[in-house]
Order: sequence, then structure tokens, then C-alpha cells
Amino acid sequence: MLLKLLRRYELKALAFLLGMFVIVTAVNPSFMSAESLTNCFNDSVVFTLLAVGAGFVILTGEIDVSVGSVLGISSAVAATCLRDGGSLPTAVCLALLIGAFVGLVNGIGVAVLKIPSLIFTLGTYGVARGAVYVYTGGAWVENLPAWFTGASHSYIAGYLTWFYAGVVLLVVAAQILISCTHKGRNFIAVGDNINGARLVGINPTQTKIWAFVLSGVFASLAGILFTSRIGFITPMSGNSYEMKAIAACVLGGISLSGGLGTLVGAAIGAVIMTSITRILVFLGLSSNYDNTITGIILIVIVVVNTVIQDRAILNSHREISLKRIAKEAFKE
Amino acid sequence: MKRWELALLVVLVAEIAIFATANPKFLMPRVIFGSINDIIPICIISLFVTMVMITAGIDIQAGAVVGLASIVLGVSWQDLGLNIWVAALFAIAVAALVGLLTGYIVAYFKVQPMVVTLGGSFLYAGLALLVSTLSSTESYKGISGFPDSFTSFASYRIGGVLPVQVVVFLVMAVFAYVLLHRTKYGRKIFLIGINQNAAEYAGINTRFIIMTTYVLSSISAAVAGIVLTSYLGTAKSDLGASLTLPIITAVVLGGTLMTGGKGSIIGTALAAVIIGELKFGLPLCFRVNMQYLDIPVGVLLLVVVSARAVASRPGFQVLVHKLKSHGRN
Repeated sequence: MLLKLLRRYELKALAFLLGMFVIVTAVNPSFMSAESLTNCFNDSVVFTLLAVGAGFVILTGEIDVSVGSVLGISSAVAATCLRDGGSLPTAVCLALLIGAFVGLVNGIGVAVLKIPSLIFTLGTYGVARGAVYVYTGGAWVENLPAWFTGASHSYIAGYLTWFYAGVVLLVVAAQILISCTHKGRNFIAVGDNINGARLVGINPTQTKIWAFVLSGVFASLAGILFTSRIGFITPMSGNSYEMKAIAACVLGGISLSGGLGTLVGAAIGAVIMTSITRILVFLGLSSNYDNTITGIILIVIVVVNTVIQDRAILNSHREISLKRIAKEAFKE
Repeated sequence: MKRWELALLVVLVAEIAIFATANPKFLMPRVIFGSINDIIPICIISLFVTMVMITAGIDIQAGAVVGLASIVLGVSWQDLGLNIWVAALFAIAVAALVGLLTGYIVAYFKVQPMVVTLGGSFLYAGLALLVSTLSSTESYKGISGFPDSFTSFASYRIGGVLPVQVVVFLVMAVFAYVLLHRTKYGRKIFLIGINQNAAEYAGINTRFIIMTTYVLSSISAAVAGIVLTSYLGTAKSDLGASLTLPIITAVVLGGTLMTGGKGSIIGTALAAVIIGELKFGLPLCFRVNMQYLDIPVGVLLLVVVSARAVASRPGFQVLVHKLKSHGRN
């Protein structure tokens, strides 16, 4: 039973995360405090939302590299609105609308015009990033109201922030959506076998458009949390976050060829990604090692996983052919 | 010349004509060649990323390799005391090794190229940063003070007009063209992209060839890194950080199919120059803010690929056919 559970990739990722924590504690016992442990999770809110959003798209077999730019433009618009005395609902609605709009454009380009998703989202990535410069005039957006920036430090219980609690609820809701509802299961069906999905009456075009819209909405939500946590917005905010979000999905066990993985896995992957920096501090290494360690972990995990998978496939082939041989021998 | 390359050429000529009418200075050799330094890395690297993409792979680590090559060059010159040209060769060797590792993982473990090079882009950017901390100079400052023979390389003009970088680009373009379109190796690359299993059954060592395409693209990234270092006079670990997406844009705009099996060096080279001139001409001739340049490049990419997708639809082609026959009647 336990072994069967461990085969699930997101549990492997969780085991990896816990293993990481154990090793760090062994080296530096001061890591094992409620504060530093919960901070690993609190810090991951932005990447969790980005990764889960990108996860929708990756599950359908596409990719979205525009999430970092969507985070940039929606956080710039929301921050400007709040700075100029706008109310929170207005700012949030504006941000979500922008995210949904960019997602819709991506979805139409990829699903209707049938343009490879990497290329199309690359285009919207550039346009959205440029739009941040145009909108802000290249200046920083500062002097945000204190109640907004303070919100990121309000705790629900102990050291756990309201933000992380909310994000966890969202992730759970998203996971229920894709694993327990008809519409949601279509995402995985389309990613696994698009022609098969079409044959059983699923509309792949619609499903993919929804995936991109959800990705945009999650990215703009991430933008709002980002604004609250950082407290100011530069034109470069969120730049290159898309790569980290995709890496988090891969770490969490979502296959880039689609149809395989869970959003909870993506969320765990995001925690691994953000914990690395904090863990390095406790290991006494400088943050210069950040990218190196991330790269090594990503490559090693993916290679090991691919090798294990290949071996499993080979073994099952061998078993099938052995059975066949045994059957034929029995006949004679 | 194929139709797509012809279309790109028309776009390029139109682009230059528009810029030249807006600001006649644009056509002056000093100005137009002065722009080359900003676009030369994209031009050089995209040539060889084209080959990777034709095998149905992708290389998003090239930008990180540019920084790695630059900082390895700087550190091995300043702190190891190597001759600057030996240091440059050393940087190329390191990049080749890095490409070999990536290519090996992609080809022999059959891991998705996107994932491996994504990991590579973190790993090599991180390594570049670590190498820069080996140096006695602070890493954010970068290593400078290179000998004149090295820094004057990028500012040298052949015949007083033609910058050396252009020659480097042309030489590499011809090399890539011959390699991809005129040798057995190139035919094998195409066949692997069309159907890797068929290529394997045809007796081609597909794994080895896939691996070598990554080595080539990393070497080209190193060459770009060295040229860039020579031009800037400073070796830094993050020189190529923003190059990845323009490179992919150039390759795709050049007509290379992401699913592999189709693509051309001429197309990529033209597309790279189009993007480069767009980035240079808009600020010069239309006073567009440098920071806004992501928008025109993004719009260009979106418009071109959308138009191409619409034009290749059966419905559209039937419409064109009808219009043509209608015109004849």
C-alpha cells in the first residue's frame, strides 16, 4: 500500500521536500523551528500560484511562457490603482481581467489558430512585458497603502500567513476541479490523447482556451500577492519567473508532454523551488549557489525519473512477451 | 530560394526602406554596422539553434552559456594568467563540454529537451556566477582591463567599413549553411527531425547526431559570448540573460518548424537580421523608447505566425484558388 502510494509522483516530490528539510536540520539544527519551516511555505505563495496556473496549460500538453509578463502587467496596473486611492476590489478586478484577457488571446492563438504554444506565448510575453514599460513609463510604482502591504504579514495561526492558507485552499479547489469534475477532467484527457478526447466528444479547442485563461487568472492573482509582499513594482517585476514556474511544475511531476501530473504536485514543486534559497542560508552557503543547485536538482530528478519510467516500460514489455511465450508453449 | 525566405527578404528590404526614408542617416555604413554589436549574439546563436530545432529539440540554455563563456574567459585570463586567446579557446572548450553534457542527457536518456535545457539554463547561469566569485573582482562589476589586442578586435573595421563581427557572422552562416544543406550530416539532421525511428532504422546513429547539435549550439553561444565580451570590454556572468527568447523568435520567424524536420539557415539568418534592425531602427528613426522594443518584436512574431497559420489552412487555400479562377474569368 505504502509502496503504491510512493509511486505517485507528487508524493515522491513531497518526500524529496521532507528529505531536504531533514538533511538541513542534520547540518544546522536551528532550521527546525516553526518559524523557518512555515516561512518556506509562506514564501512560496507567488510561485505556487504561477506554477498551478501554468500547470493547467502543461496538463493539456501546451506551454505558457507569458505568465511572468502577465504577473508584471497585472501587478503594475493593480499597484497603480491602489496607489492612486482605488479600492481593493477594483484593483483585483482590473488585474484579473488583464490576466484573463491575455490568457484568452493565448488560448485563441494556440487552440484556434493552431500556433505552437511556445511561439505564441513567447509573442504575448514580449508584448505584455513591453506594456509594463509603457504603462509605468519605466518608473517604479511605490508608496502603496500600508494596509495592503501589511496584509502579507497577517497570520492566521502561529507563523502561517493568511496568504498561504488562501493559496492552499485555491490549490485544493483547482485539484478538485481537474480530478473530480467533468469539465476539469477534460484538461488531462486532452493532454493525454487529443484525438481520443475528440472522439469521446470533448471539445479540445474550448478546453485549451480555458486552460490558458485559468493560467492568466492565476498569474494575475500571483501578481497581486507579489505586490503586497514586495511593496513596490518595477518594470522588471516577474521577469524570468515563467521559467521557475515551469521548473516547479516539472519538479512536482507534471510531464511537459501533457496528461500526466497533478496541480498539488506543482504546488509542492513551487515550495521546493523557493525553499532552496532559504536552505542554502542555513547550510552556510551563499545565495550564489541558488541557480546551480536548482539546475542540478531539476536535471537529476528528471533524468532519474525518465530512466525509472523507461525501465518500467521495458519490464512490462518483457513480462507481456514472456507471458505470450509461456502461453504458446503451453498450447503445444 | 524558397517562398518563405523570399518573403523574409521582402520584409527586410521594406524595413530598411522605411527606416531609410524616415531617417537617411540609417543607411550610413557607420550607423548600420554600428548596430551590429547589439544583435550579433542573436544572429550567431540562432543559426545553430536552428539545427537543434530541426531535430525536434529545443535549446533554451544558450543565453546562460553566453554568460558562462564570457566569465570563464575573464577569470582564466585575469586569475589564471592565461593568454587572452588561449583563454578564449578555453571558454569555447568549456562551452562544448557543457553542450556535450546537455546533448548526452537529451539523446541518450531521452529526457525532453525543453526540460533538460531549462535545467541547464539554471545550472550554467549558476555556474557562471560561481566562477565569477573565484575571481578577485566583485562579480557584479565584471572583469575588465583586457589587452588592447582583444578589445580592438570588436572595433576593428575591415577596409575601414566592415566590422569584424559581421565577418564572423557571415563565416559562421556559410559554415552552418554548408553543414546543414550540403553535407550528409545535415541530411541526417533533417531525417531525424522528420522521423527519428526511421532514421535509426536507416542506420543513422541518431543519438550521436542529436548530441552533436547541442554541442554546436553551445560552441556558437561561446563564440557569441567572446565577441560580446570583446565589444563591451567586460566579462560578466549574466551577459546572455535576456537572449533566450529573441533567439527562439529568430529561429521560428525564419521558418523552422518546432516539431522538427523543416528549417533553413538562410531563413534564420534573415529573420535574425530583421529583428536586429527592427530593434535598432525604431529608436533611431522613430524615437521609440528602447524599453518598449519587446512590443514590436512580439507583435511581429504574433502577426507572422498567425498569418502563416491562417494562410496554410485548407479553407484559406480554397478561397485563394477561387479568387484566382474568378479573376481569370
